[in-house]
Amino acid sequence: MEGHGFYLAMSYGMAAVAIVVELVALALGRARAWKQVEEERSLEAQD
Amino acid sequence: MNFFYFSSPSTFFRLAGRLAPAFFILAAVLAAAGLYVGLVQAPTDAVQGEVYRVIFIHVPAAWMSMFIYFVMACYGAMALTFNSRLSAMMARALAPTGAMFTFVALWTGAFWGRPTWGTYWVWDARITSELVLLFLYLGFIALSNAFEEPRRGDRAASLLSIIGIVNLPIIYFSVQWWNTLHQGSSIKLTGSSMHVTMLTAMLLMTFAAWMYAIAASLVRVRSVILERERRARWVRDLGRT
Repeated sequence: MEGHGFYLAMSYGMAAVAIVVELVALALGRARAWKQVEEERSLEAQD
Repeated sequence: MNFFYFSSPSTFFRLAGRLAPAFFILAAVLAAAGLYVGLVQAPTDAVQGEVYRVIFIHVPAAWMSMFIYFVMACYGAMALTFNSRLSAMMARALAPTGAMFTFVALWTGAFWGRPTWGTYWVWDARITSELVLLFLYLGFIALSNAFEEPRRGDRAASLLSIIGIVNLPIIYFSVQWWNTLHQGSSIKLTGSSMHVTMLTAMLLMTFAAWMYAIAASLVRVRSVILERERRARWVRDLGRT
């Protein structure tokens, strides 16, 4: 790697981290959205 | 087929749910192929050595950062012009993925710049305008969430996205308009100066990034639709899929 391994690792590593963070955020967003739907359903059931 | 059939959030919600896994799989397959060709098959660069391999993540991320912004601004314009709910939701769904690609382009550029230019950062026209693009994305996200009434946030953010589109030609032509450290384009409509293996890897990674952006946006827009339409009868009747 001619001493360039650090720069390659930091580049590809951060890209991987960014994608993982986004995928986790997507999953959390999905769960939050469904929670709101469930709350709406329970409110309707109470009425 | 009725063109407006899929512009209904309820119809698009189901379509997005069916399409997203296919785009995620396509992105994974293309990325695996691109990484193999780029990191294993592609030859070492005669001038830069091994560090040039950052190109296989840097260039696709930079291209996607601009392309996603353009698509987001188009959705913003449609939302403002036709007052269509789904267009505003799509613009909102695209922004975080665009911001992520812009951040990756800046970060990888810094780690490519250090061994080649001797510095992580320079206030070069190309790099600075790309940083402005990141701020535009963050501004869009902040503005779209800043209002109690989501439609007001949509309108304000859409307007910002349309104004911000002026930054795209500045990013693209910056290396021609100003004397910059950043190199010019290696790929033009008339051809490429790159080795065919390097070009293949870069294009594979670009298509992988494109497919990923579509998949992530489809997943996100489903969440936005659910939050916005949670009081609608069709949402309350949905099974959790």
